[in-house]
Amino acid sequence: MATKTKKRAVAVILLVTMLAALMAACSGNNDSPSASAGGSSSGTAGAKSTESASPAATEEAPVTLDWLAYNSYGQPDANASLVQMVEKKFNAKFNVWYVDNQKWVDQLNVKFAAGEMPDVLQIREQIPKYVDNGILAPIPEEKIRELAPTYAATIDKYDPNLWNAVKYDGKIYGLPSINLAGDYPTVVLWRQDWLDNVGITKIPETLDEFEAALLKFRNDDPDKDGKKDTYGLSSFAIPFVMGAFGYPGNNASYVMKDGKITFAAIQPEMKDALTVLNKWYKEELIDPEFVTGENTGGYWADSQAMYNGRIGLTGNGMFYQWRNELFGGDDQGGGQYQNFIKAQPNGKLTFGKPPVGPSGKSGTLQWGVNSTAVGITTKAAENPRKLETLLKMLETTFTDYDYYLTVLRGNENEDWKKVDDTGKVQILNQATSVADLSKKGIQVFNIMNSPDFDKKADADLYKFADSKKTTGYPPVIAPAVDSYAKYAGDLYKLATETYIKIILGEQPVSSFDAFVTKFKANGGDEIEKDVNEAYNKMLGK
Amino acid sequence: MKHRRMSDRLFSLTVYALLSGLALTIVLPMMQVLTISVSPLAVVNRYGFHLIPTAFDFSGYRQVFHKQTIWTGYENTLIRTVLGTSITIVMTFLGAYPLSKRQLPHRAFWTGFIVLTMFFSGGLIPSYMLVKNIGLMNTVWSLVLPGAVSAFMLLIVRNFIGSLPESLEESAKIDGANDVYILWKIVVPLSMPILATVALYAAVDHWNAWFDSMLYIRQEKKQVLQLILRKIIIDGTADPSTTGAADAMNAPTNSQAMKMAALVVTMLPIMCVYPFLQKYFVKGTLLGSVKG
Repeated sequence: MATKTKKRAVAVILLVTMLAALMAACSGNNDSPSASAGGSSSGTAGAKSTESASPAATEEAPVTLDWLAYNSYGQPDANASLVQMVEKKFNAKFNVWYVDNQKWVDQLNVKFAAGEMPDVLQIREQIPKYVDNGILAPIPEEKIRELAPTYAATIDKYDPNLWNAVKYDGKIYGLPSINLAGDYPTVVLWRQDWLDNVGITKIPETLDEFEAALLKFRNDDPDKDGKKDTYGLSSFAIPFVMGAFGYPGNNASYVMKDGKITFAAIQPEMKDALTVLNKWYKEELIDPEFVTGENTGGYWADSQAMYNGRIGLTGNGMFYQWRNELFGGDDQGGGQYQNFIKAQPNGKLTFGKPPVGPSGKSGTLQWGVNSTAVGITTKAAENPRKLETLLKMLETTFTDYDYYLTVLRGNENEDWKKVDDTGKVQILNQATSVADLSKKGIQVFNIMNSPDFDKKADADLYKFADSKKTTGYPPVIAPAVDSYAKYAGDLYKLATETYIKIILGEQPVSSFDAFVTKFKANGGDEIEKDVNEAYNKMLGK
Repeated sequence: MKHRRMSDRLFSLTVYALLSGLALTIVLPMMQVLTISVSPLAVVNRYGFHLIPTAFDFSGYRQVFHKQTIWTGYENTLIRTVLGTSITIVMTFLGAYPLSKRQLPHRAFWTGFIVLTMFFSGGLIPSYMLVKNIGLMNTVWSLVLPGAVSAFMLLIVRNFIGSLPESLEESAKIDGANDVYILWKIVVPLSMPILATVALYAAVDHWNAWFDSMLYIRQEKKQVLQLILRKIIIDGTADPSTTGAADAMNAPTNSQAMKMAALVVTMLPIMCVYPFLQKYFVKGTLLGSVKG
């Protein structure tokens, strides 16, 4: 019977387990690099020794990179033609790590603790934390400017502040990246057919015009069904009103005021915004369901209140989601626009502008162009060739349009093709999921998006976006501080609850001052002090 | 008499009402899940309950089954469930049998030693390093060995075996049976209810587990179903602008239907097994715990 052999096997396993635990405990401190290789690359150790022996020779062995500078929706196939192409082009060998995209930070923390490190990675954790734990290595700015000048110039062009976002103690620890969509504020959307039905010809621009239009949406039966079942706006459009007073803040987000970081929610201007919102609520312009949000499930940009003909003004989404201009062919517009049309076949949408407030301010929420930075680890810093290869790849991403399209979109005439000589691109693998793209090595080696090339490839979309662009409030680029992590949850709750109560009239507007005092006392002041200190430290002041 | 019957009836009525209420809270969400999984987006986005499908659209299922990895995921989950459950049964049983014997030297100590592990564990990082250093990374063993024996189950089985009449074994011994023969021919057949319980617990655990697969398995084709489904859902709801896939910007995501379809796909197999094992489930746990 198998039980005896099984018993023996069990004994062996137990023994091995204990020994291993002992060994792990002993070797925990010296972090031997040989144990930290990400697995399948058998040649790592060998390649490393030859590299250090013969620097800067042209017939060098390829440099091995443990690669985690991509969104790991799927595991790239090491034999994919794209992977081979990039390896050959940069004389490199990629050992692409595969971690769960959603549990990225947790999973990496376990690996770091066990002494495993990639060479190049997306920085999804706060930079100071990684630096203090000896994970990130500094990247000299001269090196970036020397090896990736076009990239550096692009960052300068979009927002030089991005360099500050990756700084700690005045040193650069990551390569900032640009999210082009974040250059565009979230949208302001009107039901055009409702505006027509209530006899408004000009799209509202000021707060008073907004109120007049919304009053008609509520009282003049814009959907012509004979029932008073429509409202003006719900939760997505509330930040418009706050924007008209200078800060779109009903949560715990920062604003920059006179060169100092502070909280948007406690600014005196917000009291005026709440006065207006409270008045609008009393006039029944705001859907009472706004408390639980106008998105009742599904994709975050969906507005079920809008789809169900309950409100006539919404926002929160992006231009590409609500695009109502068709580009010909079988194009059906943006995803949320398609959802809207399916639910309201006769509905029409118009892009508007955020309302202008009494002091001339206006704007909607904006994501900002700051996106996930890419950094190198202390392990990679041991071999200067690794950083050089990374920067060369990055520069190529920003200078070679065809290379960029290939690493971002796949093979020409298979995954995409150029439609005309301006470089406009048509996607041929439309239905493929991101995970399947990753498998072919697509979107793995582009490191980041080149905004200029994106505009060139998607010329129609960005032309549309530019024509609808309004003003927005991008978030303040501020370093994370421990006190923020400690108090922000409670402060967020305090701010949103107070704002909702004031809008609903459960608390008088005058209670705003008491709220500000409470907000500051419960951690607001402490965070402000810490974050300004950290901000100055980040800049190396 | 009459009064008592009245109160009896009232009692039953209350119990039935409460139980029906409880059943409804389980059945209604399931109906909602099923309906949404087969509904087009226009229906999903409509307000109100969706208990009976009014229109059909199987795009959710299509998206879920589109990925080939779902089949390798199914395969891996099946392998892990069968392998893991077998290992668990054998190990738990072999551990529990000696512990149930009074003549085992230092019995109290060994029992205490096992109970200790119920309350203290090394934590995530030591576990990871252990699995890595004994070379289990990226193999199915990393999924089935670390949790092979649950101390809690071991104690339940120990109590169950302890409650079997000693005289049965004695009589077998008089007839000339050796220890292994007794275990195999007498103890095991009598312990079927508790074995079914352990098997069911272990199988459900293995079926639902995904975290260890995420941690220890590096290759996508070796990952288990739950992790793959989780990815499909996340993939489907990923914001196109953060993935840089402008082409995906034009596709409306019916993420709700897809999520619900994924739920149905994972739920169905285990739901099919459950009714057949449930009677053991209740009986076994009860037997093991009461007759301690």
